Amino acid sequence: MTRPAPPATPDLPAPGPPPAGQPGAAPPAGQPAAAPVARFGPWAWCRWGWRQLTSMRTALVLLFLLAVASVPGSVLPQQGIDPQAVQQYYASHPALAPWLARLSLFNVFAAPWFAAVYLLLFLSLAGCVIPRTFRLAGAARQRPPRAPRQLARLPLAARYQTALSPDEALASAAALLSGRRFRLRTGDGWVSAEKGYLREAGNLLFHLALLALLAAICLGGMFGYKANRLLVVGGSFANTVTDLDAFHPGRAVSSADLQPFSMTLDRFAASYISSGQLRGQPSRFDAYIRYSPQPGAAWRRYDLRVNHPLSVDGLRVFLIGHGYAPMFRITDGTGAVVFDGPVPFIAVEQAGLTSEGVIKVPDARPRQLGFAGVFLPTAVDVNGRLGSAFPAPLNPVVSLVSYAGNLGMNSGAPQSVYQLDTAGLHQLPLPPRPLAPGQSVKLPDGNGTLTFTGYRPWISLAITYDPGTLPALIAGLTALAGLLLSFLVRRRRVFVRAAAGPGGATVVELGGLTRSDASGGFEDEFGRLAAALAQAHQAGPPAVTLTSPAQATAGAEPPVLDETTEGE
Amino acid sequence: MSRPRPCPPGRSRPAAIRHRITEPRRATAAALVAVAALALTACSSGPIAQNTPASNGQGFVAGTAGITVFGHGSPQAPRVSGTTLGGSRLSLAQFRGHVLVLNFWGSWCTPCRAEAPVLAALSQHFGASGVRFLGVDIRDTPATAEAFQRDFRITYPSLNDPGDQIALDFASTVPPAGIPTTLVISRSGRIAARVIGGVSYQGLRSLIAATLAQRS
Repeated sequence: MTRPAPPATPDLPAPGPPPAGQPGAAPPAGQPAAAPVARFGPWAWCRWGWRQLTSMRTALVLLFLLAVASVPGSVLPQQGIDPQAVQQYYASHPALAPWLARLSLFNVFAAPWFAAVYLLLFLSLAGCVIPRTFRLAGAARQRPPRAPRQLARLPLAARYQTALSPDEALASAAALLSGRRFRLRTGDGWVSAEKGYLREAGNLLFHLALLALLAAICLGGMFGYKANRLLVVGGSFANTVTDLDAFHPGRAVSSADLQPFSMTLDRFAASYISSGQLRGQPSRFDAYIRYSPQPGAAWRRYDLRVNHPLSVDGLRVFLIGHGYAPMFRITDGTGAVVFDGPVPFIAVEQAGLTSEGVIKVPDARPRQLGFAGVFLPTAVDVNGRLGSAFPAPLNPVVSLVSYAGNLGMNSGAPQSVYQLDTAGLHQLPLPPRPLAPGQSVKLPDGNGTLTFTGYRPWISLAITYDPGTLPALIAGLTALAGLLLSFLVRRRRVFVRAAAGPGGATVVELGGLTRSDASGGFEDEFGRLAAALAQAHQAGPPAVTLTSPAQATAGAEPPVLDETTEGE
Repeated sequence: MSRPRPCPPGRSRPAAIRHRITEPRRATAAALVAVAALALTACSSGPIAQNTPASNGQGFVAGTAGITVFGHGSPQAPRVSGTTLGGSRLSLAQFRGHVLVLNFWGSWCTPCRAEAPVLAALSQHFGASGVRFLGVDIRDTPATAEAFQRDFRITYPSLNDPGDQIALDFASTVPPAGIPTTLVISRSGRIAARVIGGVSYQGLRSLIAATLAQRS
């Protein structure tokens, strides 16, 4: 935070300007020029560094850096969100991609430099907010200041005479102000009253909530996790590490911490706009699932939709994608059925959901078989090229390239289930012929038969567990409430002085001051208060004067609010 | 940030105290919260059509290789039962009194394919010693799983577990943390050791031998 040089106060022995030649080290203008410069030891440097780190300016710069640093995360494909896209990026930018990977730009949110920014930001905010919290707690408990000597110089002032003695007048004034929930301080010939401490309470609340927000974010990072799963209609899965496609645990998450829920996908319905400019755009997705919160518990039905996640056991399951899984039955050269099931194909374009995928049959004999294929939901022939005209399966067709040989799966080297390693394979001489559901193709060289038996939709799910979400929400709302409170509540002060005047009468002087008039109306409040006091003192209506700001500053000496914590 | 500033900027302030107030802190604090919220939401997911499938590079979570031997107080294996690929009912309780090697596998999983000959050989080697082997075939179809068993000449049974319910039953004790995972279960039904990742012949043989040497 900018710290306009405070008038030297006991708690802030500002370290003098750092030695020359330190860019950015210049203290804010107004720093006492005569500050001792002679010794600026390591301890002073530490203090100076800490002050810089915990200054609002640094926090804002870090926050800005954080925002800038997350830009590549939304511009470049991210490993954790869309690994397919990262692979595509590698394929299309073979020279650039390794360099981007070296800079962690495909995994921005886990990058060391990103962590550095947010850790510094956390440190900066905590270092800034914690000491402030203590000081605010002090301010909220503070007594009103002593009454200034010259009440007439205050922005609001009133004066009247009463027959009561000064002490009686002060006592009844104190009683009246106290009855209006002012906090009082009395002295010789004066009463000082202040109201609106809720502003400090609000400010305190805001700062505490800010700390809670930081803690909630840390909590989420430590104990939360994210996972992805692709689920074909008719299939089911359990929330265990073995059954997830991708798993990104927080620092303190082990595989035993996963909520043991299970889910089955019964049916998936997608509807698309069938005419007009938005033709082919999805209009609705419904995934009809059943889930069980834990083994042995009853299964419940749920309609999973976009932005309508399933909440189970504290975690949330989002529907984030869909596609088609064509189904194949493959018989090998020995006549054995070596494959019979759906294979998820991945959409390569959205307008027609043209999807690509591979089938691996490592246990086929005499040779392992592999197929790379394209699934077209609504196949159309455009100038001899097959394409998909619509995302719904109006004319589903699959087109395959067949391979035989060694799939390279038995060595144990990890291999993507979405890619075919063709190094050990040779393409089978087969004329390209699109297959409709139910159609078969006989593989040459005695390699067996493939039948395209149908297709099923699949959905992709994002499973997120973030125990910090609710605390963060509560902290955010509390921060907002505190902020509003500190904006809307005014702190206002009323001073009363009573002294024996000429002719035996007592002269009562009132002064009013508000330290900010965000919501206005202090003049009216002061006027009513003055009238009430005058009435209590059996005096005539008081003469209220409102000093204009110009007049007030014209005074040689502005009214002094004698607290050190007052302002900076 | 040095000291509390109780006076936020207002619409109008008495000039008398104006010089004591500097404005930007409250406003910047509010801006800070707003920008922080913005920054944190920046990584939320986009619309459905933009997201291609959930999978990492290989489409499954491979375990970080490691052997864990549970000494005293080794956890009791959960009560698990299921249907084998052949269609018969089987429960872990039936293996009481035998050392049991429980292997989580799938025919599509490359490390599982690499370790399959080891498991086939060890199941033959220890057959006479009363050691039983049982597979749990996950995320698979019966056709491919049976082809796998034929291919690698695996003679012991496997439970068909396409929905991974058996791994889930183990989640509260010794969760299989990747594919493949192999558990060695003692005669009394306690989990003696866990291997995450492919097993080696020597490694698994010594784990089985050590468990056989235990009294219970």
